[in-house]
Amino acid sequence: MEELGKISVWSTDVAGLHLVFNLTTIYMTLSVMGILIIFAFLATRNKGLVPNSFQVVAEIFVDIFWKLTRDALDEDMAKTYFPMICAMFMFLLLCNWIGIIPFMDEPTKDLNTTLGLGFMGFCIAHYAGIRTKGLKGYVKEYFQPIFFMMPLNLIGEIAKVVSISFRLYGNIMGGSIIILVVSYLVYGLIIPPFLYAFFGLFVGTVQAFVFTMLTLVYISVQVK
Amino acid sequence: MAWEQIEWVKAASGLGAGLSVGFAAIGAAIGEGYAAGRANETLSYRPGVAGDILKTMLVGQAVAETAGIFGLVIAMLMLFSPSVGKPLLTGWAYLGAGLSMGLSAIGCGIGAGLPAGSACLGIGRQPKASGQLTTLMLIGAGVAQSTAIYGFLIALLLLFKSLPEAMNWVAACTLLGAGFAMGFGGIGPGIGEGIAAENAVASVARNPENTGLMTRTMLVGQAVAESTGIYSLVIALLLVLST
Repeated sequence: MEELGKISVWSTDVAGLHLVFNLTTIYMTLSVMGILIIFAFLATRNKGLVPNSFQVVAEIFVDIFWKLTRDALDEDMAKTYFPMICAMFMFLLLCNWIGIIPFMDEPTKDLNTTLGLGFMGFCIAHYAGIRTKGLKGYVKEYFQPIFFMMPLNLIGEIAKVVSISFRLYGNIMGGSIIILVVSYLVYGLIIPPFLYAFFGLFVGTVQAFVFTMLTLVYISVQVK
Repeated sequence: MAWEQIEWVKAASGLGAGLSVGFAAIGAAIGEGYAAGRANETLSYRPGVAGDILKTMLVGQAVAETAGIFGLVIAMLMLFSPSVGKPLLTGWAYLGAGLSMGLSAIGCGIGAGLPAGSACLGIGRQPKASGQLTTLMLIGAGVAQSTAIYGFLIALLLLFKSLPEAMNWVAACTLLGAGFAMGFGGIGPGIGEGIAAENAVASVARNPENTGLMTRTMLVGQAVAESTGIYSLVIALLLVLST
């Protein structure tokens, strides 16, 4: 059970600050990014009316998420935010699936990844809100319905970041802890592959979708 | 019979694990059962879309199960982390973590099951809108779970907090109080947000053109319903960080 909570770190001192990096997360995030870049290259290399197999998969992603983004935002605003939404889903999906390969870890098992993505979504949503409503209209929203509700509205906005990132982190980390403990109890016999299929493939897909859709609707609530 | 310190901590970890997984199982099971019941009800008059309904039911149940899985994770963390050399206050933190996770998962399990059930009914009514219904169900159920996630956050903070060596009744009751604050505070918002999501899904099944409007209204309503859960989160954070 000693693997529980063991991480490889690389620490350095820069300008008087003690910086600690989680190496596993960095390697895994870079591998996910590499796979996605290769996939994008293969999918767009010989674009044609008769698509190759990579292009088919890419078209499915683009089609589904273009429809969802267009329904949630307006047509021209959807053009701005669609690439981010689609890329976020593909990144999270691969992040959650990569754990089923032996010796690979999910980058989303690290709170830093999910909190970073959640904070990114928060910044984008509020930037979109300021851009459409203007700074005055944006600030006015916080004083609804009565002025003294302002602190609670602020906390509510920050709690959104906490809930969206801990949802993904908790599901993926919880799944991997359960797999670890159950594999230890049954000596790795028979059951773990099914658990990997459930937590890695099924829950991973659902949670990647939920994270992406929540980012999208937070943007849509800000701009409407 | 005088117990050693390590025995007290071990006993508390057992009790905390039981509270966490036991309470968390209540809500998740009710929510999943509700979804399955609604799916059966729909199948009785529309067996043609059985595949879609089964798929939606399973996805909804998986989301409703999240709260139960969080309880299981907290229980496993308590049971399998070493209790050698831990101060006596850790035991109280374990109890608080179990209460926080277990109680807050009750409401969220039920709340996440409600939209799943109504999505199954909606697909029976409007099979063409099944994509929109599933998306809205996932968003609604996901937001309804926020308070269980706050409970999970408080439980993790309680588990991994470094506590003073000396036993102190004020600190012990503060740790337990943080668990009560977040645990009870999480029940109501979970069910309330679930009701909002359930009815939003049902309205989209009636009138799929208005999906955007319903989604925004649902989210605003859920944000207001969640505010009491956020008060609990603030108080629980203050209590945890003050020890």
